[in-house]
Amino acid sequence: MTLLARLTPGARAALLVIAVGALCMALDRSANWLPGWPDALTLPMTQWVGDGLEWVFDLIRPGVRLISALLEYPMAGVNWLLTETPWPLVLGATVALAWYAGGLSMAALASVGLGFVLISGYWVEGMNTLALVFVSVPLALILGLLIGIWSNESPRARPWIEATLDLMQTVPTFAYLTPLLLLFGFGPVVGLIASAIYAAPPMARNTALGLQRVEAEVKEAGIMAGATRAQQLIQVEIPAASTQIMIGVNQALMAALSMVIIAAVIGGFDDIGWEVLLTMRQANFGQSLLAGLVIVVFAIIIDRISARMATSGQRFDLRISWIILGVSVVAAIAAWALLPPPGDFALLAPTVEAVDSGLSQFTRGAGATLDSIKNNAMFYGLLPLRIGLDSAVLPFTWGFSWTPGMSWIYYGVAGLIGLGVALTGRITLGASLVILAGVFETGISELPWPVVFVGVGALAWVSGGWKLTRLVVILLLFIAIAGLWERALLSLYLCGAAVLICAVVGGLLGLLSAVSATAWAVIRPVCDMLQTIPLFVFLIPVLMFFQIGEFSALLAIIAYAIVPMIRYTRHGLVTTPAELLEAATSSGATKWQTMKEVRAPYAAPTILLGLNQTILYAFAMLVIAALIGTTGLGQSIYIALGSANVGLGIVAGAAMAILALIADRIVQGFAEERRRALGL
Amino acid sequence: MSTPAISVDGLWQVFGTDAKARLKEALGRNDTAPDAASDLRESGLIPAVQDASFEVREGELFVIMGLSGSGKSTMIRCVSRLVEPTAGSVKIDGEDILAASPKRLIELRREKLGMVFQHFGLFPHMTVAENVAFPLKMLGKSRAERRRRALEVIEMVGLDGREDAYPRELSGGQKQRVGIARSLAANPDTWFLDEPFSALDPLIRRQLQDEFLKIQSGLNKTIVFITHDISEALKLADRIAIMRDGRIVQIGTPAQIVLNPVDDYVREFSRDVAKGRHARLDSVLHTDTPPQMPDDPKLRLDMTLEEALANCMSLYEPVPVWDDRGRMAGYVHPSDLAAALQVDRS
Repeated sequence: MTLLARLTPGARAALLVIAVGALCMALDRSANWLPGWPDALTLPMTQWVGDGLEWVFDLIRPGVRLISALLEYPMAGVNWLLTETPWPLVLGATVALAWYAGGLSMAALASVGLGFVLISGYWVEGMNTLALVFVSVPLALILGLLIGIWSNESPRARPWIEATLDLMQTVPTFAYLTPLLLLFGFGPVVGLIASAIYAAPPMARNTALGLQRVEAEVKEAGIMAGATRAQQLIQVEIPAASTQIMIGVNQALMAALSMVIIAAVIGGFDDIGWEVLLTMRQANFGQSLLAGLVIVVFAIIIDRISARMATSGQRFDLRISWIILGVSVVAAIAAWALLPPPGDFALLAPTVEAVDSGLSQFTRGAGATLDSIKNNAMFYGLLPLRIGLDSAVLPFTWGFSWTPGMSWIYYGVAGLIGLGVALTGRITLGASLVILAGVFETGISELPWPVVFVGVGALAWVSGGWKLTRLVVILLLFIAIAGLWERALLSLYLCGAAVLICAVVGGLLGLLSAVSATAWAVIRPVCDMLQTIPLFVFLIPVLMFFQIGEFSALLAIIAYAIVPMIRYTRHGLVTTPAELLEAATSSGATKWQTMKEVRAPYAAPTILLGLNQTILYAFAMLVIAALIGTTGLGQSIYIALGSANVGLGIVAGAAMAILALIADRIVQGFAEERRRALGL
Repeated sequence: MSTPAISVDGLWQVFGTDAKARLKEALGRNDTAPDAASDLRESGLIPAVQDASFEVREGELFVIMGLSGSGKSTMIRCVSRLVEPTAGSVKIDGEDILAASPKRLIELRREKLGMVFQHFGLFPHMTVAENVAFPLKMLGKSRAERRRRALEVIEMVGLDGREDAYPRELSGGQKQRVGIARSLAANPDTWFLDEPFSALDPLIRRQLQDEFLKIQSGLNKTIVFITHDISEALKLADRIAIMRDGRIVQIGTPAQIVLNPVDDYVREFSRDVAKGRHARLDSVLHTDTPPQMPDDPKLRLDMTLEEALANCMSLYEPVPVWDDRGRMAGYVHPSDLAAALQVDRS
């Protein structure tokens, strides 16, 4: 009893998990209900949800179709405007705006970027995409602004609104599409609505955050001047929060663009996302890369201009903007008859062919190397993690087969190491090592469900107490009862592998960036770039080199999800207060001692938040990666989209959101605990 | 005596869930306010202001002084109803503002009340002139009139020429001048100042204090002024209320606070204050039959102790004190003067 009381919560939780794991192993032979969740305990939830939604949809479909019909008008209008306007005018207007917001460098960026789009021959497709963005974003902004204000005005509604926003952002993007498809029917309106829904939460969040952050005294000054609530909101609080709200506009724009591209998978609209998908399916990688680059160019131009307008009050001479616009009008009129249609440009066609032939030459030459990289990663890393050493070790790959005797030896060694570590006082670490060894031997997808329940529950208990444990167990139960247990574990495995790699590599890169300004000067633009690229585009390069499969998916996830880990790690490490560093230096600490003893502990909460973001990013990408062959919930969602199975789409989407939510809450709990410990 | 400009009676501000009902219960269970307060505190509520009562006369400069956490900022927010008090009453010119409807409250704030904030509370998106004109805009004044009046007040606080600057371009002292100008733009009768000079450098602080006194001598507003600085309180106040842990422990003139502190807590505040500078001769005056007085250093009733002592440093016998019409008002012992200056030096 006293021994138990002396253990830290972490050690108690870890020992409990080991006990449950050992029990499961002992029962393994006699109990065949252990590995997968028993079918008898599942409910046809997919069916119910599907039927229920169908019923609701039938009810509201006429109204929805009306909205859809009404939306056709602005969409057709904007589309017509963008595609029919002579391209010199569109280019000139964009450059004029870019000049006004950011001067020469921004104007140069805009002209080079749009010039690239023009000569790529994807002008029309690009404008089709932009038309969707420009119609959906105002919807998202109005919706987001209203939700943000509502959240600010009603403290009672706030927690519910925040939970809903959380959900809207964690529900995977593809999962939106299935119900919308059923409601609105095939066509661009689905993409429009989906992107409006997807882009509203960042706007709502930033509006609410901005309003809450308006200084109390500024608010009080408004009240004491005798402003009514409406005057106060419109004349004082919203203008005072404008910077934060503009950041919301920037994020909403990016989210809308990302979603519009993703929505291309439903097709029916001749946009640039569809072009990427099409060329990718034809294994026409040069062309696919070109289309992908067009998307990236759009993303960068939109992001940089709107971000500049949000964060800097500086504006450039408007007269020059008018001159640029005037010149482009003159050019458009003068050369009206001479202008080639924008779709006819194909200056980059030779480049594309060169890339294609270069690529095929490269894959022919380096194919063996690439394959061996892939196979090694699969056979010695991913597979054991997925199905365990006991199944993954085969004569064909490892040169021998795994026997039960080996399992005993393996567990014996792991146990001894764990015990050794525990005896030095680090009981939690020792026990965790044993658990990890067990996971590797069994494989994540074949873990007995009681171990998963107890393991995740125990983690939640350490992180956030009984309340979190209860929430987590109930949520896991939902997944299990819905019959998605095995798929959820597969998702967990791929995501886990990606997050693990991101944490290690990203953490190291973050550390490097923190100690070396040169390294940061190199890494930072790469991070900026990776964060601007819409999810979809990540698939192109990995497909080019590694074809369809889990390994490609893993690489795409890592490329996307590693950024927050790098950024937060660096940020946490470099923002240690100067006094703490001075105190350490004056105590005679070396650079690395300071890093280990002062900076790292101080940065821990921030780094944990980075890990949290990385996990959420990984889940978001996991679903997109279903396009290039993964087996998990992402695949279910994608299949649901293809077969218009709204029940499966919603339930699998919910399961995915649940996994993300559980990870989020547990990591946030640890971060919170660290922050409290530091008195922050 | 006419109705006081501000009268606060039995004011409580308790933070926590269901504070109103639980305050009532606590007051039912306990006889005294401090007992009720500790009762509330034990059950997890925060009694930030406890049973406060005071009156401010028209044209009086009333200072509320206390350390951080003593409840003084909460108090002024109760009086201006920026927070909703839990119990008690606040009357401004006899009108119970806690009972005022939201509409009436807006009217009152537009016409009668002005407030200055510690961290200025300037609207970041408005120029100096727009900030100052904001209360006038709320009053529905025309653009031209707003501008005219704003420039007038801006000139009064010595910021002419900066009217089109944005707050981010101003120094701390300048920002607070804008805050003061804004609070005066609509010419309110009652002026609330919440630690207006605490965020400023000592030099700028003294300069603004002097200008504040000058402005007030021309306007003669009823003022509630919050500070944590005893010397600021003594310098500015007609009367001072000292707060501790949510309670008012003493109300009095600067001389009363310095010379007759009610307890060690108040005494501790005035320990480092040069008392002779704030107390006048009347506080040590004897008015019984004068003993024999060989010397007359020509002490006047309105002299501070310090000035008086300087005039009779070498005298040991009682000396007469004269009022402003040249009649003898009483006498003082030079040793009393010295003692009064040294009360807390031990």
